[in-house]
Amino acid sequence: MGAWMMAAMSFRIVTFLMACAASAGIAWGLWGLQGLGPGAWLGALLWFALDARGAHRLLAALRGGNAAALPTRESGGLWGELAQRVRKLLRERDKQVHQAEDRLQEFLTAIQNSPNGVVLIDEQSRIEWCNQTAAQHLGIDVHRDLLVHLSNLVRHPDFVTYLASWNYSRDVVIDAPTPPNRSPGGLRAHPLRLSMQVHAYAGNRRMLLTRDVTAREQAEAMRRDFVANVSHEIRTPLTVLVGFVETLQNLPLGEPERARYLQLMSQQAQRMEMLVNDLLMLSRLEGGAPPPVNQWTPVRALLTPMEDEARALSERLVPGQGHHLTVTMEDDAEIAGAVDELQSAMSNLLSNAIRYTPGGGKITVCWRVLPDGQGEFSVRDSGPGIAAEHIPRLTERFYRVDRSRSRESGGTGLGLAIVKHVAQRHGAQLHIHSTVGQGSCFSLLLPAARVQSAAVFSKL
Amino acid sequence: MSEKHLSSQFDSELNAISSRVMEMGGIVEAQIDHAIDALADLDTQIADQVMETELRVNAMEVEIDRELLSIIARRQPAARDLRLLMAISKATANLERAGDEAHKMARMVKSIVNGGMARTLPGNELRVAADLASALLRKALHALARLDTNAALSILKEDDLIDSEFDGFVRKLVTYMMEDPRTISASLDLVFLAKAIERIGDHAKNIAELIIYIVKGADVRHTSMQDIEFTLQRDESVS
Repeated sequence: MGAWMMAAMSFRIVTFLMACAASAGIAWGLWGLQGLGPGAWLGALLWFALDARGAHRLLAALRGGNAAALPTRESGGLWGELAQRVRKLLRERDKQVHQAEDRLQEFLTAIQNSPNGVVLIDEQSRIEWCNQTAAQHLGIDVHRDLLVHLSNLVRHPDFVTYLASWNYSRDVVIDAPTPPNRSPGGLRAHPLRLSMQVHAYAGNRRMLLTRDVTAREQAEAMRRDFVANVSHEIRTPLTVLVGFVETLQNLPLGEPERARYLQLMSQQAQRMEMLVNDLLMLSRLEGGAPPPVNQWTPVRALLTPMEDEARALSERLVPGQGHHLTVTMEDDAEIAGAVDELQSAMSNLLSNAIRYTPGGGKITVCWRVLPDGQGEFSVRDSGPGIAAEHIPRLTERFYRVDRSRSRESGGTGLGLAIVKHVAQRHGAQLHIHSTVGQGSCFSLLLPAARVQSAAVFSKL
Repeated sequence: MSEKHLSSQFDSELNAISSRVMEMGGIVEAQIDHAIDALADLDTQIADQVMETELRVNAMEVEIDRELLSIIARRQPAARDLRLLMAISKATANLERAGDEAHKMARMVKSIVNGGMARTLPGNELRVAADLASALLRKALHALARLDTNAALSILKEDDLIDSEFDGFVRKLVTYMMEDPRTISASLDLVFLAKAIERIGDHAKNIAELIIYIVKGADVRHTSMQDIEFTLQRDESVS
């Protein structure tokens, strides 16, 4: 660089001297010796004029801010070189800016894809930037709402106080502001619960993180409900038992009465036992090893004991009348999985049908292999049916369509929860169709991988 | 909510007062949501909470009005700023009234619960109308924050839905009252409750009209829907 500068400077001096010398030479030729001095002066002036023109062109290009209009090196001299240097510098700066922009874009894309909502807020709490998730959570329009005050759009009093407090050591949980463009009449059945946490950075700029905690809160509520339900379900028979024990202790009773009370006590004790068994079954299903895929059981072996059990239950519930129970097996097949679990699931479905169908009703159990290889176990009854709003919640633990009726028929409230768990573990699906007044159909659809029709295994 | 002025102090004053109104709107929204919850669960505790919030809303209204007066006196605003300030004053009044309606709802819920006839009446059917009204107010405040005239126009149209829900509900209540005269006093409470909900929708509608007033300078109160649409379109084609 230094060497080049020296070269350029000496080049300048040389051209200057050459201009002076050339002009002096011409003047000498024209006017003789006395023209020499003014000729040199004229040459110097000419040189300066040309030089000034080059400088002016460079300055004009720089003023215009147009890098392309900068004179090229070929236009010569110091100014051309200078223009070239400026252009090179600009190009490098441009490249850096591009790189920085790309990096920024990458960062923004990363934040854009974060599962949490992110809103950047300036010192006046206006929205500077927000990602799609936050826009969805808070009902913000990503483009239109820039520089709108955040607390004007998210107006929940708790959040407004929180944002203004400048104390962000904890988060605040609010109901999501309903997106204003939602269909009218949309009920707020499950409002989105949002956890809002602000972090201050770079002085008084802030970043708001929003997290959807609906599922977490629902899970907590479910856990609370479950514990409350279990205690309630266990306490009910226990209260009855305690009552009878006190009666037996305090009152002198005749033998037949004693026998009757003991009979009732044993019923309650059985109910408690059933409940505890079901609970244990559920916890086994939740924590147990996955069901085996190569342990094959003939469906017939599952259906036969289940049918006997069902007939006995039907006889006990409606003595003398019973139900019209038909069990059909369209295809002989084997299924793979945990035998006891499958048996429990199937017999739960059947015993439900018997419990909820009045005496004399029709119950049809059917096993068949569908054309695509899936196995379908279905229980169809002619009971009272289930209203559509209850169906999605049927598999919840202790969910009862009608509290009084369910308890007198002696269920634990865990049957369908067990069926659902068994189905999930075996990759099966539980379908429930029901029409009020006409009856219901529960079907268990086993995946093709777990079903082997008789035709196939007889060939082997 | 406002554009740039030479005096940045004025700007920040306008912003501050707009924020105050939105904050008040947030409180009223929460109050209405709580009142709806109280109605759905027939919960007197939530109802008490709603009635307590009312004091805060009232205090805010007075405070905002005082600030407004001081701004108008000191800055002598004109044109859009004056319209904005006038609209803020009216929006505040409307919000306060909406809060009053929530308070009324809470009082009715308490009276229904104490009357003991709650479960036999179709109180839950008010839920649809109540959610509509609450969503409408939320939408109106959003539109106010964004000064969005299109949203304002759709609010004006939606208010009819609530009105028809109200009519249907009253008809249903009449059948209940004819069946069993003992339900009359509770039914009357429910009618007032339904009326309060319907009024909340009306206040949301008023706020929507104010938005058009701020942005377009056209007073669209007591104007037919065609005329309002015409006003908006004409201004759009001019600007």
